[in-house]
Amino acid sequence: MRTTVSAVTARLGCVVDDSGRIVFDLPAEAARATQEAEGQRLLLRLRPKKDEPEKVLHTLALEPGDDGRLCAVLDPEPVLAEGRWDVYLLGPGTERQRLRPGLRDLRALVDGQLRDRRTPLAVRIPYATKDGYFAIRTWLRPAHAEVERVDVSDGSTTVGARLHGVSLAAGGTVRLRLRGGGGTVRELKPLASDDGHGFFFTVDHDGLAAARHGVWDVFVQPSPDAPLVRLARLLDDVADRKEVFVYPAVTVEGACLRPYFTVDNDLSLEVRKAV
Amino acid sequence: MKISFLIHNAYGIGGTITTTFNLAQALAERHEVEIVSVLRHRELPNFALDPRVSLRPLVDLRQEKEHPLHLRPARVFPRAEYRYGQYSELTDERIGECLAALDADVVIGTRPGLNVHLAYQAPRHVVRVGQEHLTLDNHSPRLRHALRRAYRRLDALTTVTEADAAAYRRKMRLPGVRVEALPNSVPDPVLSASDGTAKVVVAAGRLVPVKRYDLLIEAFAVVAAEHPDWRLRIYGKGEEHDRLRGLIAELGLWNNVFLMGAAAPMEAEWVKGSIGAAASNFEPFGMTIVEAMRCGLPVVSTDCPYGPGEIIQDGVDGRLVPVGDRDALAAALLELVRDDELRRRAGRAALKNAQRYAPGPVVEQAERLFAEAVAARAAGRRAVRERSGVQRVLVGQGFAARDAAYTAASGALRVVRKGRR
Repeated sequence: MRTTVSAVTARLGCVVDDSGRIVFDLPAEAARATQEAEGQRLLLRLRPKKDEPEKVLHTLALEPGDDGRLCAVLDPEPVLAEGRWDVYLLGPGTERQRLRPGLRDLRALVDGQLRDRRTPLAVRIPYATKDGYFAIRTWLRPAHAEVERVDVSDGSTTVGARLHGVSLAAGGTVRLRLRGGGGTVRELKPLASDDGHGFFFTVDHDGLAAARHGVWDVFVQPSPDAPLVRLARLLDDVADRKEVFVYPAVTVEGACLRPYFTVDNDLSLEVRKAV
Repeated sequence: MKISFLIHNAYGIGGTITTTFNLAQALAERHEVEIVSVLRHRELPNFALDPRVSLRPLVDLRQEKEHPLHLRPARVFPRAEYRYGQYSELTDERIGECLAALDADVVIGTRPGLNVHLAYQAPRHVVRVGQEHLTLDNHSPRLRHALRRAYRRLDALTTVTEADAAAYRRKMRLPGVRVEALPNSVPDPVLSASDGTAKVVVAAGRLVPVKRYDLLIEAFAVVAAEHPDWRLRIYGKGEEHDRLRGLIAELGLWNNVFLMGAAAPMEAEWVKGSIGAAASNFEPFGMTIVEAMRCGLPVVSTDCPYGPGEIIQDGVDGRLVPVGDRDALAAALLELVRDDELRRRAGRAALKNAQRYAPGPVVEQAERLFAEAVAARAAGRRAVRERSGVQRVLVGQGFAARDAAYTAASGALRVVRKGRR
């Protein structure tokens, strides 16, 4: 039986539990084919911005696991910086090899919205990049407002969300901040649930259509003087939400309004001229 | 044995690709197996292929899209085949050369047009097995007419359901050809089965009209109205995407129904759900139904020709509902959504019952079929194990006459139309 596996087909699988712990596994022959048997590690690299050097790296020991597979564990600590992490196989004295995705068992993340989180909130979602490699999407937020549902009608959009790590006090506000708008902000009054974590607010379409066109990023300020908390949807298994959680556009008075998730899964409202 | 598969494009996504890879990989345990892909449009296949199976493309579209011969229509590949537009003189030539040089014991075609290539171009010493992943009744009369002539030259023809095998035996006269149902196999899942607790219904397949995702979404509107915490995830991409997105918006289901994009393999996505769903008008086999069941999901499906009814045992490991019946689909989904114990029991039954589609039993059957055909050919006879009878011949001739008449008539019509131009 031939066991040669070309470098490009080494596929990394993983299981994630609800604490965020990731157990990676790699078919042993995939590792052997390209690396020395001893001292293999996984290298996690925070993807640097274009033309910047890579700075943040973590390495994990690969240990023999069941039926000849190699395993590595990434515990909830260390907390990973927010961004996208690429994963490589690293051996002594050899070049690193970027890994392809195998099965990623993320079922423990699917109902993640139902659990209250500690802050700072650290989220990890393994995913396959567009060009077919294994990567991990991470978020790290001092406090978090999780978008739970968005209801769009002709006249208004109502957003239901839940705060983690902070609660809504008297005087708390929702703030829409115009991107690149030199501090242009619209303030809305949220309605809080009894426990002070859940809240919802309604954006009136006429009012927003009459304001400046552009992208309004959505924040909540839980109490006066508290830092702004970005509204986002991070607590499930979907790493890239923009094309999956899609809300309808509404046209009012020559303007087209649409709530959407950004490439970072943050909630924004787009207002542009209707065509 | 040395076994070669001939496939349209091993680099895409779809049931035929998955099942061919599965069978090839399982056969590679004991045999020398290669997959010949007529077309290639990207560097790597979507599915990781066992390294023991070699993969060989014939036409690389990344370089040869504008090849002069590729711009000329195919002559061997039948005109009435669904994929005719993607074939050319270049594919004719490359497939012909490939088959002429073949040193395999068995060559297996995986779609009608490629089966025709095998029938006319495979060397005499190689056993020719045609696989039909679609159904006879769904082929156009013109294609049936072309296949009726070509398929007589095959050693064996496999269909994916018993119902379709019966149709071939009844409606095609294929003396000396062994016709047998060989279901698609689904590999043993790597991940543990779904525990049936997630409030997620999962469907997967290309987003094309025949899959009736519109019907599924409409049915799910009824589920979401009663159980707003349940979600429907639809995996796949295709021409219906924007229309389905529009329907989700129209029905106000954007918090409940999600177009997830393509996922291959699906295994890690199935286990996130607790019910599988299929709403097709037509499903020659129903690969995703078996995949879902092998991950422990009961499946609600329309009882369309032919696959679902041979896979699902209604009321035991899933539900079968009439084709196109939104209310029945909604009611069947609701039954499983409302009753946690029923859902989990049906999920366990699905897991157990779908084991018959494990590679083990399916591959044993394929191996037996191929080996018997090789032995028969070596002994100078065909592989057939068929009863003959005047009645069958007459019935077959009737269908042949009908397809031929239709073909001739539409040929005449074309001539008339041409004359008018």
